[in-house]
Amino acid sequence: MSSSSDAISPSLAASNSGRKEPSTIFLIAGAVLLAISTILLFVTGSEADPARNFSGWIVGVSFWVSIIIGMLFITMIWYLFDSGWSIVMRRQVEHAFAATPWLLVCFLPIIALVVLDPGSAKVAWTWLGHAKMSPGGHGSVEQDVLYQAKSGYLNYGALLIRFFGVFAVWIVLTQCFRKWSLKMDETGDHKYVHWARKLSAAGIPLCAAATTIAAIDWFKSMNYHWFSTMYGVWFFAASMRAGLAAIVLAMFWQSRRDGGLKGILKPAHAYLMGCIMLAFTIFWAYISFSQFFLIYSANIPEETFWYNMRELTEEGMKNSWFVISRLLIYGYFFVPFLWLLFYTNKFGWRIIAAASYILVFHLIDLYWNILPQELVGEHHEIFTRGFSIMPVDILTWLGTGCIFLWAYLKSSNQYRPIPIRDPRILESLNPNE
Amino acid sequence: MKTAKQENAPTRPNELLGPEMSPELLNQRVGDEARVRARAWWWWLALFATAGGVFMMFTAITWVLAKGVGIWGLQIPVAWGFAIINFVWWIGIGHAGTFISAILLLLQQDWRNSINRFTEAMTLFAVACAGLFPLLHLGRPQYFYYLIPYPNEMGLWPQFRSPLVWDFFAVSTYGTVSLIFWYLGLVPDLATMRDRTKPGLRKKIYAFFSLGWLGRDQQWKDYRALYFMLAGLATPLVISVHSIVGLDFAVSIVPGWHSTVFPPYFVAGAIFSGFAMVATLVIPIRKLFKLEGMITTRHLDNIGKVMLATGMMVGFGYVSEVFFEWYSGDAFEMQTLMDRLTGYYAPVFWTVIFCNVISIQALWWRGIRTNPWLLWILAGVANIGMWMERYLIVVTSLGHDYLTSSWQDFNATGWDWALYLGTLCFFFFLVVLFVRLIPMVSMHEIREILHERAERGKEAS
Amino acid sequence: MSKPYGILALFNTAQEIYHAAESVRDAGYKRWDCITPFPIHGMNEAMGLKRSLVGAFTLVGGLTGFTTGMTIAWFAGEFNYPLIVQGKPFFSFVFPFPVAYELTILLSAFGTLIGMFLTNRLPRHHHPVMDYSNFHRLTDDKFAVVIETDDPLYDEAKTKRFLEELHPAEVVVLENKEEVKA
Repeated sequence: MSSSSDAISPSLAASNSGRKEPSTIFLIAGAVLLAISTILLFVTGSEADPARNFSGWIVGVSFWVSIIIGMLFITMIWYLFDSGWSIVMRRQVEHAFAATPWLLVCFLPIIALVVLDPGSAKVAWTWLGHAKMSPGGHGSVEQDVLYQAKSGYLNYGALLIRFFGVFAVWIVLTQCFRKWSLKMDETGDHKYVHWARKLSAAGIPLCAAATTIAAIDWFKSMNYHWFSTMYGVWFFAASMRAGLAAIVLAMFWQSRRDGGLKGILKPAHAYLMGCIMLAFTIFWAYISFSQFFLIYSANIPEETFWYNMRELTEEGMKNSWFVISRLLIYGYFFVPFLWLLFYTNKFGWRIIAAASYILVFHLIDLYWNILPQELVGEHHEIFTRGFSIMPVDILTWLGTGCIFLWAYLKSSNQYRPIPIRDPRILESLNPNE
Repeated sequence: MKTAKQENAPTRPNELLGPEMSPELLNQRVGDEARVRARAWWWWLALFATAGGVFMMFTAITWVLAKGVGIWGLQIPVAWGFAIINFVWWIGIGHAGTFISAILLLLQQDWRNSINRFTEAMTLFAVACAGLFPLLHLGRPQYFYYLIPYPNEMGLWPQFRSPLVWDFFAVSTYGTVSLIFWYLGLVPDLATMRDRTKPGLRKKIYAFFSLGWLGRDQQWKDYRALYFMLAGLATPLVISVHSIVGLDFAVSIVPGWHSTVFPPYFVAGAIFSGFAMVATLVIPIRKLFKLEGMITTRHLDNIGKVMLATGMMVGFGYVSEVFFEWYSGDAFEMQTLMDRLTGYYAPVFWTVIFCNVISIQALWWRGIRTNPWLLWILAGVANIGMWMERYLIVVTSLGHDYLTSSWQDFNATGWDWALYLGTLCFFFFLVVLFVRLIPMVSMHEIREILHERAERGKEAS
Repeated sequence: MSKPYGILALFNTAQEIYHAAESVRDAGYKRWDCITPFPIHGMNEAMGLKRSLVGAFTLVGGLTGFTTGMTIAWFAGEFNYPLIVQGKPFFSFVFPFPVAYELTILLSAFGTLIGMFLTNRLPRHHHPVMDYSNFHRLTDDKFAVVIETDDPLYDEAKTKRFLEELHPAEVVVLENKEEVKA
């Protein structure tokens, strides 16, 4: 029984007369940062670890790509579940979708390096360089029996096709949802909602396949000996967490702006987002633990080496990743889980803190997955690349982030803050917990 | 012609309840009429037919306890056969009930209110059937209690690294929590039945089990806290129980079993087969007991959608497995893959693909989802497909594992089938009893929806 | 002649009882309750009730369960009868996790159940309200407000008049047929 004094009508809420945020500055900043980072990628690199910049690039760009993937999935889930409360949030996601094609552009330096010189020592996807020494002393990659078994999948041409394929899936899906919702603002035609629901139903399997392929190609192939059927699901879980956290931050930022969600965002919205964030925190932990637990229990060296790299050196001493591993367990699961479990922590500054915290740890999770790689030293000894944060990481991450923000702000300036002619908008403006 | 209301709510074409539903009709259909209908000839026929099957089950159980598990088709290397297959299949079916009760409650999906009582009961019966198999398949079933960590003078403790011990804890917890959840959901309805029954033994039984429930708001407050808390507990329980069942296979090193995606893949499969069983039961029952006003085409639509979604997840699991069996480069994994695709077990594999992946694609069409009999047929196909999938997982991997000299194919015996079909009849027997004795639909939850609908109607006018 | 239990006012719709509850709460009555066939949204606020304490019992149960699970595994694996199995450590938080997790949920459920019974004071097979002639409608489609005689503001005439002003379908004084210890 909600009292009518709190009820908001869409027309009151959605005036477009707010201040326009500066966006071009982000475009310039992003372009400059990425340019410097590209130069670092192509030109510099240490002798001992030439592929480090490449790995840093993957971390930086994948962070933002995973946010888009998470937002895409949650949009499709919201459409399929017919949820009424989330309509307000959905517009922020649609603004962010404007960034998807630009993220493809941000990825292009990596692809350029792969196309120009696939066998280069700078490329962290070692299987591309057939003459490179494979870790484990099985001769070169070409001679590696384990590579030969996978070479039907892990080859240069297939990689490129898949790369553009997964981005095509993401771009088509995000742009369709975005365009249709913006169109509905103008025409009020409800057919767009029907189309969006149908596309969501088809989109989830497609996006699931694309996400899995991206995880296998970009992250898992760093150590191509390893395989885990759960890996794609891990990337989905991590992306969901990142996407939801980004939505929370976006909606709170907008709630301070006059042309944004000021007066529109209700505590109930934050509470419900907090509940979903809790659910996916638990889901991420379930997925990550399952993968670890199965490999731990079966104890087969062909699989456990991947986890051993993230804990111990070759001699059995704790390496730099040990702390990060423990940090992920306690910091990325227990702390947010216990925090979000409580009712009062799903509102106000508390949930903003939780969202920011999760994004920081998502970056650490990506580092933990991508960076450790078996490198072959000068004396053919095998060692694992340790944890480090290099300038190229920061530049790439900041640069891609600036481009992402530029696209989001441009869209936010141009279009309304809520989908005012969505048939369920009233329900979303006055949500129940 | 669409009404204005329908125009404004294009995403909700079907109502949750038929337009003729009212509290009186609710009480009639679920309370009084159900009992009257349950005296019909078809009820007695169902009872006796399933009772015959129960007799067959007891015979099979007695014989296996007397003679040992050698009467089944088990051999080395296929030391796990129908017992594990049936155990996993039944537990999977039980999961739909908890999913509907707990997870859909937390997701505020009101359509669950019509079917949750029924499906929770289905869970309990499925768990009862499932629980038989781990007991019976032990070589010395009289020592089943060794799984419990009790202090004894033999220095004997259960092996906590073993997934079978985890299973014991998981399934016991699952059975207990499901029972609590089901029973507590029932208490207000038992109070209603108590108040509608004339004084006598029946009234006394209802009164005893309804715990003196009054409907005081203080009680509702704590009741709702309990209900949502249990739903919040049952959600991780559902996911963990079938994950642990999946771990039975996944922590091993048997080719085809050691796949890290097994936990969520098994959970998706469980919900898929569970919803298929829900459809198999609910569609005839709503017809026979005239519950179409409460279990509308909207419910069938949603059941179909869940089946489609989880079926696609299961399909994703198949693709992952096939891909990674190839990607791993492991010769034994490749062998398992080839056995399934083109070898001795290819008919089973392709039947599974047909039932679980291809046939459910029909559920993309709303016309098929909302057609009760087509949905019923697809649900039956899905049930068969999921049983065969368990067969595929267990038997093909064990039959052709590492040592080629040990390879042997599995053949089920008559006792295997007798026990399985016996438990199937036992399950249906319990369902037949349930519809006669206990209110099938959660009356107090339907009343909430009726009330909300009346409120919405008043606001609209 | 036993002391009456309280006064009951019967209402026909949920809206009416919702507003009636707000009035009774605002009048300052403390020992009273609403009886409804299903829980009404917002009724807790209308009655001025605090949040349920059931959650605390759940937490205690859960923590007990987790500790118990890990302790049993540690006791069996490391303390009482260590066996080298699969090259794994005698005790680790990893492998007994499923057992501890399930026990957490089981004991949380038991804690919740006990919590509800304690806070609800069930089972209580007889209650004076059950003697009311229309009681069977209260678990069906009618709603009632009951103000107990134990309330400090209770006065038979005044309270009856107050309730009649809320326009109920009927107002009845409930007798206390047995001495029930609250």
